[in-house]
Amino acid sequence: MSSSRSHAGVLPGFGLSLGITLTWLSLIVLLPLAALVLLAAEQPFERTLAILTDARTLAAYRLSLGGALVAALVNTVAGLLVAWVLVRYEFPGRKLVDGLIDLPFALPTAVAGIALSAVYAKNGWVGQWLEPLGVRAVYNTTGVVLAMILVSLPFAVRTVQPLIEELEPELEEAAACLGATRLQTLRRVVLPVLLPGVLTAFALCLAKSAGEYGSIIFVSSNLPGRTEIAPLLIMNRLEEFNYSAAAVVAIGMLLIAFVALLAINLLQAWTRRSQEA
Amino acid sequence: MRIEIESIGKRFGAAQVLTDVDLYVPSGELVALLGPSGSGKTTLLRVIAGLESADGGRVLFDGEDVTERHVGERGVGFVFQHYALFRHMTVTENVAFGLRVRPRRERIADSEIRARVAELLELVQLSAYANRYPSQLSGGQRQRIALARALAVRPRVLLLDEPFGALDAQVRVELRRWLRRLHDEIHVTSVFVTHDQEEALEVADRVVVMNQGRVEQVGSPDDIYHHPATPFVYRFLGNVNLFGARLEGGRPRLTGETLAARDAAPGAGACAYVRPHRLDLSRQPRGGDALEATVAHVHAAGPVVRIEVSDRAQRPVRIELSHERFRELRVKSGDRVWVVPREIHVYTD
Repeated sequence: MSSSRSHAGVLPGFGLSLGITLTWLSLIVLLPLAALVLLAAEQPFERTLAILTDARTLAAYRLSLGGALVAALVNTVAGLLVAWVLVRYEFPGRKLVDGLIDLPFALPTAVAGIALSAVYAKNGWVGQWLEPLGVRAVYNTTGVVLAMILVSLPFAVRTVQPLIEELEPELEEAAACLGATRLQTLRRVVLPVLLPGVLTAFALCLAKSAGEYGSIIFVSSNLPGRTEIAPLLIMNRLEEFNYSAAAVVAIGMLLIAFVALLAINLLQAWTRRSQEA
Repeated sequence: MRIEIESIGKRFGAAQVLTDVDLYVPSGELVALLGPSGSGKTTLLRVIAGLESADGGRVLFDGEDVTERHVGERGVGFVFQHYALFRHMTVTENVAFGLRVRPRRERIADSEIRARVAELLELVQLSAYANRYPSQLSGGQRQRIALARALAVRPRVLLLDEPFGALDAQVRVELRRWLRRLHDEIHVTSVFVTHDQEEALEVADRVVVMNQGRVEQVGSPDDIYHHPATPFVYRFLGNVNLFGARLEGGRPRLTGETLAARDAAPGAGACAYVRPHRLDLSRQPRGGDALEATVAHVHAAGPVVRIEVSDRAQRPVRIELSHERFRELRVKSGDRVWVVPREIHVYTD
């Protein structure tokens, strides 16, 4: 009794809460993933490999991952800019803009998709002006990336915003007094401090975009091998009652997501170490 | 380098922060801007630095108008209250920052930068910490690094905004004495902001007392302390007792009445200011300016004995006596005494 108490510390219930946590995690995350692996393993390995290296599958992965990379890059820059403006400047309607940022969080993704197609389609508000310029913003890969950017923007803004709030303006003033130009201040003083947050923002946008389904299918032409994203391919395989093929494609997505997050976490750990060593 | 400030004014929205401020800082001096919070002292410092632009007036460095010049081109070193060190850089990188961001043409060789940083770390006595990060240093050490960083670019003026404000009482005192010695060594024209009168009087060659966006008095610490020009300066520099007074043939006489601070407002007639240590006590009735009173509290722990007495109208008067004098008098709570002023200051409207 006394030994277990010394382990648990002041607050009681360590064993109970750990047990609940693990059970919950198993039911919600681990069990479905395990089922997915089992489902994919129902067929011979050669067949699995064939599904994964199928031209249509590869094209879907390329679109989902490539689009997500572009969207994450765009949002990392745009999110940083938006967060900076929201933190550092006072302007009428700032609170409103700040609230609007969260809208894509709350919006059903289908609504976001329909809204985007309404605005950017050939006869939409913005689309009608783009059309004569020879630019088509929806029903192609551009549309896919556009939808990814929309739904992942809040992740970027909300991740870097608190870091900018903590960044004292005195740091910039100190740099200016020492003769640094605006660009030097940004590159050598501001960005290094924000870097861990920027990397997190990038990772979150990448994950959200790669997994996005609902909004994209409204603004993509969804052509197999060309504008078909990986989640849609899974959906299509399910509709063909080809459950194991769907599971294999899903496993591929899982692996890609896992590797991407691992790489970014390592990068983050490295930047943090070099900053605080 | 000398600094001249000519009729500087500044307002933030509806608040007038500086009103027609003129100031002259002679070359090589260490000047304190002293005032309560909201007196405009920090704003004035930031206007000198170029971190804030004034609404009107001019700032001159050695006779040259720098009012429109960008902060980076003024050649000022600025030290912030909360250090503002770059936390992702080591001490060495922080100090070298100003030298490394120079345009390529003006940049000195890497070996020279290293030598200069080493020399500065020696100056602020932190050579052993060259490869540490700011988070690994104490407050006092961080402020010394901030100072070294500001000095690295050989500024023409050193400006310090409440440099000891974020430090413990003991470190504060040590660091301000160290700053005084450092200034005697390097003689760069320096202006520092403080709300601590003790700090200003101990460290500065010249003290500028500010109140509500205006300069109340400029003078040596001695001058300021012994000849405060206005009631505000008198009160800001230490504890004070206020008494009613009238002038008799040019000489101030007390009316025997103790005043509260609010009674000394302009227009209320003459008012006498007496510091607690310029009051004495007597057990025997005394004529003249002496006031009859009863001892209320005696605090004997400390370098002086602090005594509070109440006059006939039950108003408190604070007195400080030396321990020797206290032993002679042997007063205790409840005793009847007479308060004898040794030196009084009278301001008339």
